[in-house]
Amino acid sequence: MKSKVKKKYKIVPHIADIRLQLKADGLKHLFEVALQGMDEILKKGFCQKKTKYSKTFEIKIYSFDTSSLLVDFLSDVLTFSHIQKAIFCKVKFTEFNEKNLTAKIKGSAVENFDEDIKAVSYHEADIVKDKKGNYKTNIIFDI
Amino acid sequence: MITKKDFKKITPFIWEIPKTFRVDMRVPARILASENLLDDLFKDSSLEQLINVATLPGIQKAAYCMPDAHEGYGFPIGAVAATIYPNGVISPGGIGYDINCGVRLLKSNLEFSDINHNQGLLAKRLYEEIPSGVGRGGRLKLEDKKLDQVLSQGAQFLINEGYGEAKDAHFLESFGKLSNADPNLVSKHAKDRGRDQLGTMGAGNHFVEVDQIEEIFDNEVASKLGLFKNQIVILIHTGSRGLGHQIATDYIRVMQSSLHKYNITLLDRELACAPFSSEEGTNYFNAMASAANFAWANRQLISWGIRLVFKEMFNEDLNILYDVAHNIAKIEEHEIEGQVKKVIVHRKGATRSFGPNHPEVIDEYKETGQPVIIPGSMGSSSYILVGTIEGMKEAFGSSCHGAGRRMSRHAALREVQGKKLKIDLETQGIFIQTGSIKGLAEEAPLAYKDIHEVIDIVNNAQIAKKVARLKPIVVIKG
Repeated sequence: MKSKVKKKYKIVPHIADIRLQLKADGLKHLFEVALQGMDEILKKGFCQKKTKYSKTFEIKIYSFDTSSLLVDFLSDVLTFSHIQKAIFCKVKFTEFNEKNLTAKIKGSAVENFDEDIKAVSYHEADIVKDKKGNYKTNIIFDI
Repeated sequence: MITKKDFKKITPFIWEIPKTFRVDMRVPARILASENLLDDLFKDSSLEQLINVATLPGIQKAAYCMPDAHEGYGFPIGAVAATIYPNGVISPGGIGYDINCGVRLLKSNLEFSDINHNQGLLAKRLYEEIPSGVGRGGRLKLEDKKLDQVLSQGAQFLINEGYGEAKDAHFLESFGKLSNADPNLVSKHAKDRGRDQLGTMGAGNHFVEVDQIEEIFDNEVASKLGLFKNQIVILIHTGSRGLGHQIATDYIRVMQSSLHKYNITLLDRELACAPFSSEEGTNYFNAMASAANFAWANRQLISWGIRLVFKEMFNEDLNILYDVAHNIAKIEEHEIEGQVKKVIVHRKGATRSFGPNHPEVIDEYKETGQPVIIPGSMGSSSYILVGTIEGMKEAFGSSCHGAGRRMSRHAALREVQGKKLKIDLETQGIFIQTGSIKGLAEEAPLAYKDIHEVIDIVNNAQIAKKVARLKPIVVIKG
């Protein structure tokens, strides 16, 4: 029987900003679900409705550990979102290691954002693997 | 785990965590707070963050926390730290993502009775003239050459282009321009994020607010500042927008990768730093200055929009009282252990509050000390203070920057309905125009600390002196 992929995010309280709680059964899935969570903050429901994308960009990142790689990945997508005024719903990793990745992101223009995310912070970003083999971390967005 | 027993009470409003508290602390940590506000700091990681700041290479005297402080990234929001020039570190986390987020105050000669019954229309017109820019651009889209001129010249560039009066720059902190700015050190991504955002507010806690001076605490100083009871003034609270956010993001990444090179060990990656004199440190400082200049230009263009509306509706000209940065690093001279030392002062959620006769205070304010503008939340008061001589001796001539959050956005949303809040505020005479009713609820007054308590601590600790209290009557939010 095909097991259900566990990848989920939850937006939880933070004193001034937005805290995203992430969990996935693989590292790549963790990165994917982090992007889903960020997109939902930027524009609620936008990616659920989109199936065709008009904008594609490539991202290449080298970071000094996997937690930083996740933050840097989200930061780079956020940068493209702000510059292109678009939401990037899809990601395809063509290279994915603990410290570096290459990815294609696909998205579409949006009229405005629900939240003005200033930056993706490293605060609380600490990817850990639990006893069940799931990867977890928090990501805090400065808004 | 820190407890209250670890604190030494220096005065009723100054508390110290001695440097012996943790082996890696290079200086003590000092908190300016009442006992009540000190208790609040135990609810998040502000104190732990302040102790981490006290470990930074080259830090001098003490790491300071202001009464409006709360948890931030690396540094708490509401922190001040000075490192020795030129070999102490500079940390982008000590300035924050919103470089030169700050406040400008415009003065009118109008009294409340002159605009009463027009607040609704005034709110509408201001909202039309001042875009929030959340995903949409502002009135200007700058090509590279003009954008670089903004980054180099700050507010003066816009004044030269006709968006202000010749005297405006004189009334801005650092005259609205840091001369070390170097646009070549600003990434293309940062420029692309900022090129259509000049003159936009952004969202979150940024706003434009029309206030009535409700109470004057010091008539002599108020008169010297050109302030009087019932006067209509306008507050602008915003920063360097996406351009500054991207510069911070870019250089935090640069500095994380150079920590090894300079043998710097940190407990928190958001404290990433480099020696000021290093290539990484100097490049960040000069890129940060570019963002600071962009922010002063941003507040200049917003001022232009506000002036248009006041001219159109009331045939009134507006003058700048002052414009203060509260997320910035500056090279300044301060007396430390009996010696005057050149230091790199990091203010993150803290306002410069230089006292009377300080060489960097303009002649108009030499007797009074520089104006210190402290915005409250939209339903509560804001304050105008002035810097003091006593304040120069404590936290490197710095004061608080606002009320400071005490409640998460989630908690605020649970307790407040945006639509009801808007109606309630209107019945109190506060007219709101906002792009987001949810955002309005998140920024509800109850989400913030009691601004009166924060200001009383600042006043009683003598780091700044109360001059006037403002009551909001029109609030514009993104």
